[in-house]
Amino acid sequence: MSSNNTTTPLKVSLSSITPNNIGTVRKLNSVLFPIKYSEKFYKDIQAPEVEDFCKLGVFFSVTSDTLRAEQLITKYLVYYNDIPVGTICCRQETVDGQNVLYLMTMGILAPYRSRKLGSQTLSAILTAAAAHKPKVDKIYLHVQVSNEDAKRFYESHDFKEIRVHENYYKKITPADAWVLEKAFS
Amino acid sequence: MSRATLAKKNALPLKEAGLFKELLSQYENRLLKKGLKTAEQILKKFPEHGETLCMKGLLLTHMGRREEGIDLVKKGIRFDLTSHICWHVFGLIQKADKNYEEALRSYTQALRFDSENINLLRDSAQLQTQLRLFDNLVETRHHLLRLRPNLRQNWVALAVAYHLNGNLDEAKRVIEQYLYSLKNVPNYDVELSETLLYYVNILEQSGDLSGALSELDTKSKSRAIVDRTAVLTTRARLLTKLASPEAGDSWKALIDHNPDNLESYRGYLADQGVSLDDPTSALEAIPHLKAFAKTYPKASVPVRLQLTILPASDPEFSTLITNYLERALKKGVPSIFADLKALYSDLEKRKIVETIAENIKQQNFAAVEEKPSKVDEQKEPTTYLWTLYFLAQHYSYVPPSTTVVPNHKLALEYVNNALSHTPTLPELYLLKGRILKRGGDFLGAASAMNEARILDGQDRFLNTKAGKYLLRAGMVEEASRLFGMFTKKDAESPGHDLEDMQSLLFLLEEGDAFKRVGKPNLALKRYMAVKKIFDTIEDDQFDFHGYNLRKFTLNVYLTLLTWEDTLRSHPGYVNAAIKASNIFVEVSDDPSIVKALTTTDHLSDAEKKARKKAKKAAVKAQEDKKSTQTSNADKELEAPPPKDDDPEGLKLIASTDGLEQAAKLLQPLTKLAPKNIDVWLAIHDVAIRRKKLLQAVGALHKAASLDAEHPELHIRLVDLKQRGKTFSDLPAPVNSTFTEELEKLIPEAASQSLENYNAQYLQRHSAESRCILAAAKVAKSLSGSVQDVENIVFNVFGPEVSLDIKTALSALSLLVSLSSQRKDEFRAAAQKHFEFSTAFKAPSELEEMHKYVLAESTADGKPASAESTTPEKK
Repeated sequence: MSSNNTTTPLKVSLSSITPNNIGTVRKLNSVLFPIKYSEKFYKDIQAPEVEDFCKLGVFFSVTSDTLRAEQLITKYLVYYNDIPVGTICCRQETVDGQNVLYLMTMGILAPYRSRKLGSQTLSAILTAAAAHKPKVDKIYLHVQVSNEDAKRFYESHDFKEIRVHENYYKKITPADAWVLEKAFS
Repeated sequence: MSRATLAKKNALPLKEAGLFKELLSQYENRLLKKGLKTAEQILKKFPEHGETLCMKGLLLTHMGRREEGIDLVKKGIRFDLTSHICWHVFGLIQKADKNYEEALRSYTQALRFDSENINLLRDSAQLQTQLRLFDNLVETRHHLLRLRPNLRQNWVALAVAYHLNGNLDEAKRVIEQYLYSLKNVPNYDVELSETLLYYVNILEQSGDLSGALSELDTKSKSRAIVDRTAVLTTRARLLTKLASPEAGDSWKALIDHNPDNLESYRGYLADQGVSLDDPTSALEAIPHLKAFAKTYPKASVPVRLQLTILPASDPEFSTLITNYLERALKKGVPSIFADLKALYSDLEKRKIVETIAENIKQQNFAAVEEKPSKVDEQKEPTTYLWTLYFLAQHYSYVPPSTTVVPNHKLALEYVNNALSHTPTLPELYLLKGRILKRGGDFLGAASAMNEARILDGQDRFLNTKAGKYLLRAGMVEEASRLFGMFTKKDAESPGHDLEDMQSLLFLLEEGDAFKRVGKPNLALKRYMAVKKIFDTIEDDQFDFHGYNLRKFTLNVYLTLLTWEDTLRSHPGYVNAAIKASNIFVEVSDDPSIVKALTTTDHLSDAEKKARKKAKKAAVKAQEDKKSTQTSNADKELEAPPPKDDDPEGLKLIASTDGLEQAAKLLQPLTKLAPKNIDVWLAIHDVAIRRKKLLQAVGALHKAASLDAEHPELHIRLVDLKQRGKTFSDLPAPVNSTFTEELEKLIPEAASQSLENYNAQYLQRHSAESRCILAAAKVAKSLSGSVQDVENIVFNVFGPEVSLDIKTALSALSLLVSLSSQRKDEFRAAAQKHFEFSTAFKAPSELEEMHKYVLAESTADGKPASAESTTPEKK
């Protein structure tokens, strides 16, 4: 299958998260997000069951069509000119018998924003998810209600707001979060 | 082994003689167990049959029962001194022991009784090459060729032997005959190609340049020589030597072959009468280089060479460097600073580079905003990043033999800016570590290196760097833990594996670290391990004497031999030899060092426990080894690595022949590193203590010819003058020569008042911290007054003085060794001088700080546990 990102510049590449580059992920998360993630979070994203369907080579480029359906990657490091500048981490869940992908974190370092890196990264995930077998029914995520930009960003990728999760955040205000969702046909 | 007739008087009856033949063939086929049985069968009837005893010994040695085997062999020889088999076996065992001289002697004995034995001759030839006995080698090779003229290898082997013995004419003649006799060689035969190239080289070396050229041309045209690069290089070299008008084109062909090979440009320019080493002549190279830059736009050599040659004042320089630098920073070439720093010996060029880089920084600066309103597609954020990285290196670097004052503070500011821009680039942490190190904060440096390492747990380079910086910070155990992530899991310790892997870097750095933390025994152990590595490399060439000739790779083989002859000029060896001999000298001056090390009173309980544990482990390892020894597998003849019965190096440091060992270590360096002043100083230090006065004073003469005002030389001269008074019991001729030679180095008048002499030295070099420190050390030995020493030492903080961390640290340790009252004052002053250093803190303070080095700082600034963040090795 081919990727739908034929127009993207070649500078961006993604690689999966492994125990060896987890230090980079930590570093990025500590700069990108207001929340300090628990040790469990880092353990989870390199857990063997997640690894199971992430048999991906260390490096691959979004522009090439190497994203194969059975290789759904739910966690990436984003590289720009060979420098790691962002991450994306998803988790597989089963909700009411449905196969669901939950987008836990996604972020790009400030100096590298507005260069469509986020879009390309998200597209890569969406493309892979759409082609994944067994079928992924939908993908959802939380956005803090103050973050209009983020909401717009996801909406431009066909996500729909379905509800407000009250008091979602414990340590930051506003504590409410939108739940955004995109179903795969 | 040959089955030539057995010696008469020891002849076995027919049945046993048959058995013995069987035994020989069983050995050759490595049927060890069967062979042993056969041998025992013969020995039952003839227990004093020498040859059988020897064969049994050989078999036992192969089976791992080494000592028993060797005893049998020796016994066997005694029973049969005229048997070539006995001597051959003995030679084999000695050869496996790397005792090449003795082995050759046994082989020579064996040949006396069986002069036509091919195996014996071939082995002898290899031993003779190893021992560089070229006269004998020629003879042996000749003999072999006479016996087996149909073996092609024997022809070239003889030629090589003549060549090594300096007889080019004979070498040439042998090769010519050999080439003449060759028939039906297949096309593109590499063996022939190599032999022909070797022939061309011989012709060239014997001065027949046009002969060499025509041979090269005809044989490369007929495709007999297939190595294209070698043809091009040799051709260009020959044409240049012949001053032929074609030479220029031949170099051009080489440049076209690889436009990034500096040597080809050098050759071309030399042919045009331009020497790159002479600044005025080099200017003439510019038009040539410009043309090349146009032809090969992707090659960096023609541009980079122009940057070296053009004077800073030439506007062309600015234009070129701007493009060169901008291109690299845009592309993100991490090594661009390493590439350009050589230009900094010209301070004006340094200034120009600085201005350009600052400009690029300004142009690419973009405020880091949460939501940039508009993105300039032309401005890559990475360009800005690499520019910061470049400038940080720029400000912290001091070009050698310049007076540039590094601005570590500014460099740190730049690198920190870069880190807040992109905190995920390991290079930035490496650089931060290097800047902190230069500023004297060894702990902070190690911490930064560790941060880089954590970013990529798979990267061994980062791991090694972090380990090395920990060693520099005196954290030996922590370093070993890091190294262990990449070493073999079943090795006794990470250090053992790294020693097996012949890591000079590790051994030298750990040795230095042990030296710093007051464990000279372990330091010495590491330095001697370096020496052993070089012994091994030298021994390893043995196999090539057979292999290269068999494979006809003659040209590289000859290069290898020359390289082996100069092996110990390697900086790793030089470094280890000097440092090891320094320790031997220290111990000889103050034997109480050894005593302090061997008493366990000062050890803490934990250390005692660790020692016990290590001992137990060693015993266990030994037992494990024993249990595996009963197997019948072929152990080969080489002795297994002997058990280390001195893991702490305590016996080594207590050696009674320490100075002799030191002298042996240094001996090869008199020829191989004669430009290294530290070598001569070390040679002097050892010689004077061995009462070799003439050698000592001679070494100082060599040192003085390299740098007469060297601070360490100053110390030696005064010391020697003082010692000179105590050498009155020497034989008269030695004494008078010694006094005469010493007089040349330090005039008698000066010795009337060495204090004055020292004061004058201090005055001459009042702005050089190393010289001030030397003068202080001399004052210590002259008057012994702590106050005098203190007064001199504190001069290092003078406003004119350029002080470096190393010198400041040695000055501090001088004060500490004198129990000076002012040592804390010195610490404070040094701290003020080296703003962010930690190296001058009191040991107790440092101890406390060690805890935080490996702790990963978290967002809230508190160190998290390092354990949980350590990535596992895959």
